[in-house]
Parts: sequence; structure tokens; C-alpha cells
Amino acid sequence: MSRAEATRQDAKGGRLFGLLLIAAPVSLVLLLIIWPVALSVFDTLTVETPSGVALSLDAYRFFFSDGFSLRNLWMTIQVAAICTVLLLIISLTIALYLRFSTSRLTGYIQALALFPLFVPSILLAYALIRTLGPNGTVDILLNAVGLPKLASPYLTIWGPIIGLVWDNLPLTLLIVLAGLGNVSSASIDAARDVGANRAQVLRYIILPRIRSTLLVAASFVVLGLFSAFTLPYLLGPAVPEMMGPFMRRTIIDVDDPLQARTQAVVSFMICAAFAYFYVRSIARTRREQSS
Amino acid sequence: MATLEIKKLSRLFGDTRAVDDLSLTIGDGELVCLLGPSGSGKSTVLRMIGGFEEPTAGSILIDGQDVTRVPPERRPTGMVFQSHALWAHMDVFANVAFGLKLRRLPKDEIHQRVNASLATVGLEGFGARKTTQLSGGQQQRVALARSLVLEPKILLLDEPFASLDQHLRERLREEVREIQRRVGITMVFVTHGQDEALAIADRIAVMRDGRLEQLSRPDRLYRQPQTEFVAGFVGQMNLLRGAVRSNVMTAAGIDLPVTLADGLATLALRPEDIALERRSGDRGAEVTRVTDFGTHLSIEVKTRCEHRLKIMAQPGTGWSTGMRAELSAHNFAIYRDGKLCFMPQPGSAQSSVAA
Repeated sequence: MSRAEATRQDAKGGRLFGLLLIAAPVSLVLLLIIWPVALSVFDTLTVETPSGVALSLDAYRFFFSDGFSLRNLWMTIQVAAICTVLLLIISLTIALYLRFSTSRLTGYIQALALFPLFVPSILLAYALIRTLGPNGTVDILLNAVGLPKLASPYLTIWGPIIGLVWDNLPLTLLIVLAGLGNVSSASIDAARDVGANRAQVLRYIILPRIRSTLLVAASFVVLGLFSAFTLPYLLGPAVPEMMGPFMRRTIIDVDDPLQARTQAVVSFMICAAFAYFYVRSIARTRREQSS
Repeated sequence: MATLEIKKLSRLFGDTRAVDDLSLTIGDGELVCLLGPSGSGKSTVLRMIGGFEEPTAGSILIDGQDVTRVPPERRPTGMVFQSHALWAHMDVFANVAFGLKLRRLPKDEIHQRVNASLATVGLEGFGARKTTQLSGGQQQRVALARSLVLEPKILLLDEPFASLDQHLRERLREEVREIQRRVGITMVFVTHGQDEALAIADRIAVMRDGRLEQLSRPDRLYRQPQTEFVAGFVGQMNLLRGAVRSNVMTAAGIDLPVTLADGLATLALRPEDIALERRSGDRGAEVTRVTDFGTHLSIEVKTRCEHRLKIMAQPGTGWSTGMRAELSAHNFAIYRDGKLCFMPQPGSAQSSVAA
């Protein structure tokens, strides 16, 4: 066998081995995610007729004409938007402090900010109820100093917002911190050297450099919020409710799997739009790095 | 153009004294190099002049005005960083124009000044390029143009050519010198390369452990190093421990007449200040290595006391390994407690024999 032939055979063997390596995870994704998604989409787009299966948009027509479903979807979008904005502002502020401060406090603040990562959502929900709920710690403290009670965020839209912001803060902070790590101190010094004050450094140097990172963080937050269940279920109002609890109730209490699937597909399509932004941002970053 | 005055400047990092009681005055349009090994505090001094580090003690005056506590964005200084520090999300034009835009200058003026600045550094027509499409040398020129366009009173350069190859470094330092002369700007240039400092500086400040060892013109620094550290750091030097007895300095078998009190001392000999004369048999020192650099020969000899010396000789003089030679020195210096204590008058030839 010639050397060229042997090299060709080696390359062929290597390719086969590579395909075998990825076969298991790809099969799992196909079996557990793609196939059920395809089935759900198929179910929501078809209807059984005496003459067989026919294409129908009835499920979506019902969802988008049902005020209750739309209010739930709107609340989910509202919570997702408010949480994303709050999370980006809070984590960017903390990340900027952690990245550029030379104070000894940075270690403690980082630990505190990452603490929610290790607290299960259910514990967090009950802690918030005990703190912010009616007759909770805040009320008791206000009462002790003679101040009137505050309107509790518990069972309002602000309940899940507070819980979800707290719960998602560590992951968002870690993503933003990683992005800020790519902004060199020298590039900031150079901006200050030519006359930029701190606000101008943030606007013209830091934010453009971490735009992709912020988009990635926002995508992750939105994807996570659409599938959130525990915190909206325990802290949110009964009506309207977020898509997670709504789907659970539709399938278990109302026993309407078709509408539950329709709700899931609508949620999935919104998430897919954010996933598209995420993938596009990653591709753009890679292109910029390779150019 | 401006004068820079540094008075009793100190900077502590925890318990470490990065800069220790440094005083220095730099004249109008002068180019001063801060030269020293890593950790000598030269970059910290530069960053304090630029406003990026706050001094623990002391003051910095530019044109007589105290700027010690003024933030970098309000100082009349411009800085060129070792890592270029260009903003990759902006093209070359936007990088250079950024400072002018912050000052809200009219668009026409910005265009004119940016183009003029790019032309000064030899990058005319490069405005639309991405910074990532430029070579290391071009990136450093953009960084230089970005500082020059704001017409700072003092330009600070922090090892700007450290990441470039030898040829490019030499070319760029000549260009920087040329620009400095043309613009007449006061410059402080940090480097750990003695060649770079000797080639471009009006004066060189040698730093060690945060302190100023010597501030002199390059020729004086090389010919009359005031401390043993400077003697060993600037250029090649043979430093030989020995002793003075009855006005004779003896080190490594070399005897030299001096006018000094008896005691321990260090003899400093430049390789080019030692002459070699061939000897037959096993007399004199042994030539252990000869390297031909084209412009000169670098000869390493071993004296009878097993001391090794480096000597510079003309090329084509026929020296080779194994030969024996007698050494004689024209110029030398004697150091005691690290300070210069004796140097013969220029022209007075001194000779010695390697035992």
C-alpha cells in the first residue's frame, strides 16, 4: 500500500471515529428534543377528520383569540422584558465594579452576587414570601419603627420579577464578567488619556466591546424566563399567569393537551427568535475574531 | 511644549515601594528616557505622570501647574501604550478622531487634523482600515497619531516598541525621534532597552528599585557611570572584585595605578577599553572564545586567576581560541560601596599584565 493511500485510509478512519463520537449526543437530541417538538408542532397544525388527518390552524386561532391566553402571554413577555432590563443593569453595574475596582470588598461582593446560584428556587420563593409577603420581615420592621405597611409584591407581577431577577443574577453576572474580561485596562486608560470621562468610556468603549456579550446574556435570560415555573407559580398572581404555570394548569387541571402544546409552540417560537439572535451574535463575533 | 517637574515622588503598593522619593526635571522639548530593569518603577512613574496612578507622596508639575491629583482626562499629556490599546470596534480614522470628537470640534477640523496626524506617522490613506488589518508597527503608529492629534504638552511612551521585531523597532524609534524634533514636543520614553535609550534620548534617567540612580546625557552615562549598577546595566562591562593597596588596584591579576585609600573595591572595564597583545608560550591570559559580529570581534579570555573577561577587538586581527595574550586597559573606573570613587583622567594610558 502506498503512503498516500495509507494517509487517505487513516483520514477516513478518523472521520468515522469522529462521527461515532457525536452519534450518541446527536441521537439523544433528535430523540428527546427534535422529535417531540416536531410531533407537537405537527399535532397543533393538524386535526383528525373522518377522512383522515387534515391541516388546520384551529388551535392557534383559539389561542390568539382567547383573551385569557393572550393576557398570560403578554404577562410573560412583560416579566421577561422587565427582568432582562433589570438583570442587565444590575449585573453590568456589579460586573463593572468587580472588573475595575481595586477594593478588598470585591471578593465579598462577588461571593454575594453568586450566592443565589446555590439556593434552590423553592427555598428562594419561600424566603421571599417570608420577607416581602404580608406580615413578612419588611412589614414587621416597618411596623416596629412606626411606618405604614408597604403594598406587598407577593401575588402580583412584581413577585416573580423579584424572584426571577435574584435567581438569574449569578448566571447573567458571570456572562457579563466574562465579556468585560475581554476589555483590556489599557484600552480604557487610552480612552481616558484622550479625554473620555467615566460615562464616555462606558458608552463609547466598554458597551460597544461587550454588545455581543449583552445580547448573549439577554438571550439566555429570556429563554430561561419563558420556561420558568417554580417562582412564577409560587410568587405570581393566579390571573394572569406566566406561560409555565399556564401550561401546567392547561394540561393537568383543564386536561387540554392540544392547547398546552399550542402554548408550548408559541413560547418556543418566541424563544427561537432570541436563539437566532444568539447564534447570529456568536457567528458575528467569530467572524470579527478571524478577520 | 512644556516643562515637567517631579518632586519627591513616591508610590507604595502595599508594603512594596515601587517609586521611592524620585525627583526629576525635564526641559521644554526634551526627550528623556526612563531606563531600568523590570520592576525598577519606570512604568509606574510614567503612569503617575499620565494620571493613571496616584502618588503616595510627592508632586508632579507641568509648566509649573500642580497636576498631581488631576485625572488623566484633564491632564495635558498623551500616552502611547505598550499594547497599542487601539479600539478594535473603530477604524483607524475613528481611533485617531475619538479625542477630537469628545472635544466637540467641527467635522472639517477633525478631518483635517486626523489626516495630518496620520500623515505625520506615515499612514496617509489608512483611515478606513480596521485596526486588526494593520501590522504591529502600523498599529503602534496609529497609537502615536492618536496621541499626537491632540497636541499634548507632554507625550509619554511606555515601552511602545517592546512587542516589535528588532528592525522595525530601530526604524520606528528613529521616526519617533524625527517626529519629536519636528513637533518639538516634550517626551518621556520608558524602555528597558539600553540601545533604544542611548539612540534617541537627550538625557537618560536610570532607575533601580524605584530610585533614580543617574540622570545624564547618553555619552556621559556610558563613559562616566556614577554607580556600579549603572556601569553594569548600560552597555557591556567587566566588573571585577579586588582591592586597593598602596595606590595599586589589583583585580583578576590586573594591576592598575590609582590614587585611593586601601580597601576593597570593584574594577570596571569596558570591553572596548581593553587592548590585547599576543604572547607566546603559556604567559598571559588564555583566549577561550572568539565571536565575529562583523563590525567587531568579541573575545572572551580567562586570566590566570580564572576570571573571565570580555574584550572587543577589530575584525580580521587573527585572534582564535587557545591563543595567549597580555591585556592593557586605557580607561577604567573603580567603585567602592557601589559609588564611583576613581576614574583616570582622559588620555592617561594605564597598562597592566594579566597574570
